Amino acid sequence: MTDAAPNNQPIAAHSPAAQLAIEIAGVQFNNPVWTASGTCGYGLDMAGLIDLNRLGGICTKGLSAKPMRGNAPWRIVETHGGMLNAIGLQNIGARAFVSEKLPELRNYDTRIIPNVFGYTIEEYIEAIKLLEDGPGIHAYELNISCPNVKAGGESFANDPRQAAAVTEAVKKAATRPVIVKMSPNVTDIAAIARAVEAAGADALSLINTAVGMSIDIHTRRPRLANVTGGLSGPAIKPIAVRCVFQAARAVRIPLIGIGGIATTEDALEFIIAGASAVQVGTANFYDPTAAMKIVDGLADYCTRHNLENIRALVGTVVLN
Amino acid sequence: MSATATPKQSQPIDAVAVIVRNELVTSASTRRYGYLRLRLPQPIAIQPGQFAMLKAHGIYEPLLRRAMAFYRCELINGQQEVEFIYQILGRGTQSLAKLEPGDKVEFLGALGNTYDLAFTRTTTMPEVLLPEALLVAGGVGSPALYLLAEELLRRGIATRLFLGGASQGDLCGLEDFTALLTPERITCATIDGSHGETGFVTAPLEAYLQTHAGQPLMIYSCGPDAMLHAVAKLAARYQVAAQLSLEAPMACGFGICVGCAVPVKADCAEGFVYKKVCTDGPVFWQEELHW
Ligand SMILES: Cc1cc2nc3c(=O)[nH]c(=O)nc-3n(C[C@H](O)[C@H](O)[C@H](O)COP(=O)(O)OP(=O)(O)OC[C@H]3O[C@@H](n4cnc5c(N)ncnc54)[C@H](O)[C@@H]3O)c2cc1C
Ligand SMILES: Cc1cc2nc3c(=O)[nH]c(=O)nc-3n(C[C@H](O)[C@H](O)[C@H](O)COP(=O)(O)O)c2cc1C
Repeated sequence: MTDAAPNNQPIAAHSPAAQLAIEIAGVQFNNPVWTASGTCGYGLDMAGLIDLNRLGGICTKGLSAKPMRGNAPWRIVETHGGMLNAIGLQNIGARAFVSEKLPELRNYDTRIIPNVFGYTIEEYIEAIKLLEDGPGIHAYELNISCPNVKAGGESFANDPRQAAAVTEAVKKAATRPVIVKMSPNVTDIAAIARAVEAAGADALSLINTAVGMSIDIHTRRPRLANVTGGLSGPAIKPIAVRCVFQAARAVRIPLIGIGGIATTEDALEFIIAGASAVQVGTANFYDPTAAMKIVDGLADYCTRHNLENIRALVGTVVLN
Repeated sequence: MSATATPKQSQPIDAVAVIVRNELVTSASTRRYGYLRLRLPQPIAIQPGQFAMLKAHGIYEPLLRRAMAFYRCELINGQQEVEFIYQILGRGTQSLAKLEPGDKVEFLGALGNTYDLAFTRTTTMPEVLLPEALLVAGGVGSPALYLLAEELLRRGIATRLFLGGASQGDLCGLEDFTALLTPERITCATIDGSHGETGFVTAPLEAYLQTHAGQPLMIYSCGPDAMLHAVAKLAARYQVAAQLSLEAPMACGFGICVGCAVPVKADCAEGFVYKKVCTDGPVFWQEELHW
């Protein structure tokens, strides 16, 4: 904080805290770098390796009304530039999160964002109601990539009407802001984004994993027991940047960029495309300090480019 | 996490380690192994059976670190050195194999649980027979048992090793185990008959269990899944307690990816839940696994 700016101007107002503080859906975040759902456990699992106080926010592992056992192994396989996973949303359930994890997690100076899913709209509401009992939760993130078993098993995320229906129902049940997490496995992400915004979403996070598959050529069997899985990591970054860019032109609510972010440069790319904040996912697995390095890197970028706050960069992509 | 001369039970460290030695050997079975020795920037507490996640420093691909059991560890003038034996299989171990002394490795450890040595407490009741520990290893599973063997000897527990592999060159760490345990306490088996008995290591293990029925024994085993399944069956048949050190593909090694699931018996409708090899294991009791 004592570093002088390159042009030797006073930098009192340019402390990293001032440069990176942001507001999304009425919630104040210390910085725009969060950890992504399913890649940081319930937050506490990373406490031994990083300082959780330095994270802007923590999106928990997907929580359902009832605990879920998850898929049979093998659940993960590394591909080029990324990995496929089919964890099967194994989690302890919303109730256990509130009673066993939240009390300790609340001690950290970060924002707690439970990620919520269900297989019917009623299941989403049930999970939200359990979480409403939990103190110190700042917002919810809805994973709408699950199949809606009451509507033929099509994912909520793939159909503007289904996506809007679950958003609207959750908004009615929730007293906290609702961030809807978009799937890249759709033809027209702008149409879904508009539908979800109209249904009352406070913000969008994007993207979830891209459906993929890998086959062992010797056994001719899929490498994942679940046959298909979600592709994540640097390999999906260009798809994710494109999704953020398209959503930014379609809606006015804030966007949170996710997908292959491992470095400051990655995060900046998303911010320029239109994201107000970013989430670090798969990178946590191979570099647990990635998110903290990005926080430092963004502050450094603000200083070098004489930005009072990182928000000045959001959506500033230059088009010819 | 401060560096002290006598490391205590501590959180894992995420650090850059320097290679002291990285020797490659090829077995007659054509399998290749690397004997890796690293110097850590600070001493850490390492329990038998624990592991580290390793990756060549600064490389982009593969992204994920690879799980490797601690083989041996030594504190030299306050400097912690640790050894691993890795089988060269895919992209991760191939990139490790290219490294030379002085090169760097991304190190995350020590991770995982340790073996249950509670049974050795019978020393407080002299009338109770001290049990004998039977270590059963297949191929590159043996590194996960060396620190255990050292600890058992330190506690005065009779320790015997059954070591199996495809060929003589696949009996990883045989020389070091022989120096530690003496040749009389080691039984080897190779598929090609190049060393010890011909066939699977579970054959001499079964013969031993038959002749020592009713004696207090404890099995500790690490190796390929097929071998662990066979060991588990023998342990159940001869009613010997067994602790198995498992492997599973894992992305992180510290509990957040939930990729390394293993079914463990539970009091629920399906009869099992999934636990994590990285943080609930890698060591599990034979009877708790829902295989
Ligand atoms: C707790 C723990 C301790 C371990 N200790 C050691 C050790 O001391 N020495 C050692 O050599 N290995 C050890 N392993 C196994 C090692 O981590 C994996 O084999 C690792 O994936 C090898 O990386 P790679 O880059 O060579 O192969 P990858 O690129 O990961 O895979 C290469 C090929 O091997 C297959 N494969 C990968 N992992 C396994 C597996 N576990 N079983 C069967 N096939 C697999 C893949 O499907 C692929 O076809 C340990 C694993 C665990 C979980
Ligand atoms: C192992 C794993 C588990 C995940 N679990 C969830 C989850 O429970 N809920 C969810 O909304 N997204 C989940 N995700 C998706 C991530 O939050 C993120 O959207 C995606 O991985 C893309 O970001 P990345 O490339 O930085 O990983 C998971 C991803 C991985 C790799």
